[in-house]
Amino acid sequence: MSEIKECDLPGIGKKFTLELDSGDKLVVVIHLSGEREVFKFTKDSEEPTSVTNLNDEEARQIGAILTGTYFQPVIEEEQKLTTRNVTMEWIKIADDSKLANKKIENLNIRKLTGVSITTIIRGETVIPNPRPDEIIKPQDTVIIIGNNKQIKKFMSTFEIKYRLGK
Amino acid sequence: MIVNESILSLGISLIALFFAGLLATKINQSLIAVFIVVGMILQNFFPVTIITEFIATLGIIFMLFMFGLEFSVGSLVNNQRKIFHVGIYDFLFNFPLGLILGWLLGYDLIHSLLLAGIIYVTSSVIVAKSIIDLKRAANPETECILNVLIFEDMFIATFLAFIVGIANYGQIDAKGFFFVILKTSAFFMFFIILAKTSKKYIDKIIDIEHTELFVILILSIIVLSAGAASKIGLSEAIGAFLAGLLLSETKQRNRISEAIKPFQQFSTAIFFVVFGMSIDYKHIGGMLPIGIFIFVISSFSKVYGGYFIGKKYALSKKAGLRLGFSLIPRGEFSIILAGTIAMSNNLSYPLKSITGVYVLLSAIIGSIIMKESDWFIKWLIEKRDIEESKQTE
Repeated sequence: MSEIKECDLPGIGKKFTLELDSGDKLVVVIHLSGEREVFKFTKDSEEPTSVTNLNDEEARQIGAILTGTYFQPVIEEEQKLTTRNVTMEWIKIADDSKLANKKIENLNIRKLTGVSITTIIRGETVIPNPRPDEIIKPQDTVIIIGNNKQIKKFMSTFEIKYRLGK
Repeated sequence: MIVNESILSLGISLIALFFAGLLATKINQSLIAVFIVVGMILQNFFPVTIITEFIATLGIIFMLFMFGLEFSVGSLVNNQRKIFHVGIYDFLFNFPLGLILGWLLGYDLIHSLLLAGIIYVTSSVIVAKSIIDLKRAANPETECILNVLIFEDMFIATFLAFIVGIANYGQIDAKGFFFVILKTSAFFMFFIILAKTSKKYIDKIIDIEHTELFVILILSIIVLSAGAASKIGLSEAIGAFLAGLLLSETKQRNRISEAIKPFQQFSTAIFFVVFGMSIDYKHIGGMLPIGIFIFVISSFSKVYGGYFIGKKYALSKKAGLRLGFSLIPRGEFSIILAGTIAMSNNLSYPLKSITGVYVLLSAIIGSIIMKESDWFIKWLIEKRDIEESKQTE
């Protein structure tokens, strides 16, 4: 993944530059007024080839679409899974969670509940198929998979209050 | 009597401002220039009264307060080296030029310094707005432009305090110089220490829910700071600016900005009108050649300085030139410099009138140049490339 360059535009806002694999650049300027501008610079060009203005709400919607939380392939998958009585669940780890700051292998999750951890989302990074020695941290989002019974058991065993998604 | 007449003339001024401003926004011109022109026309119908003059003074105070409030101390601290580097080149290219021009016009040192400040300071209001309007926020040169502007604004705010101090002292000698610098830095230090030590308390004090009381408290802070500065012989504007800086770090910043903005917009507009009214109509024709002369020379130095900065920062020729062309418009600070200081009228070239002509030219033509610079730069570079290829042949 390429690095995002960040710089201040005093009096205007903040500029984020992302160099794409194709050599094109995508620049996002967040104005102090909350307005966003998205510029596309084709390779080696100094003037943008396209500019898009978004207000705060539009920007959030587009952002959600781009990160895949808005639409839906995930949910379709989820529906298919639930028909076979298998569910995925997104769980936000609270600071005082029983899961927080523990190695996966020490939690004995599968043995106790039957549920598997498929993914850990930690801020910007995503850890698919985490290794047994991975430590779950507060504020992580953990994606688990199991049938309804197993999920329920998981929730009660680890006293989970926060679910995401759905 | 004077109050009644003033009210009517104020009303006429405002409606004239509205229609002129409407026209200006239609053709995408800066409001500053248009407001000055409105003032120049209105002087034929009624005089400046004590009341409009007072509102104009408030205009400067509020404008500087908003500058301080919206000044991003954060980015100044984060990018201080970059800002200092680009700023100092821009300064060296443009400030001494004004001193020389002042000397050529036969000004004394105070007026030459003033002229240097007027010519040096690019209008951050006009340029920042143009950058956004022209969709150039993401261009490679934009960061440099904004860093130049932040340096200039900071410099001019300090310079303003200093020059008003000198003007109030009456003459320039070593003792006065020392005295004014001491006073200015003491005043700055007071605010810096206040900001550093009592941020928590300030936050608590101004955290008032009642809207009316909140506005009154903020107004009192602004006006008291301005008054204190004026009392010790500095510019009121600088007191307001520092009050703005002080409050810019508080949690209530946005609320303050929203509350004060209407006052600022109203009084600043009147300030520009009053400035326009004080420009002697009949002498404008005579001022025009000298105004054009200063405009051409100082635009050239801005463009060259900008190009030089671009080279230092490894920008392409094109971006460097665009950087230079973007620094031409002058505006609010030039007017403030010319407008705040009580000046001797027996100069052969009245500084106020020259500044008026100069700002009108540079604000209007500068904005147009900024917009149209692309094809001109292209032409310039192509021509140069052809010449270079001829030479290598």
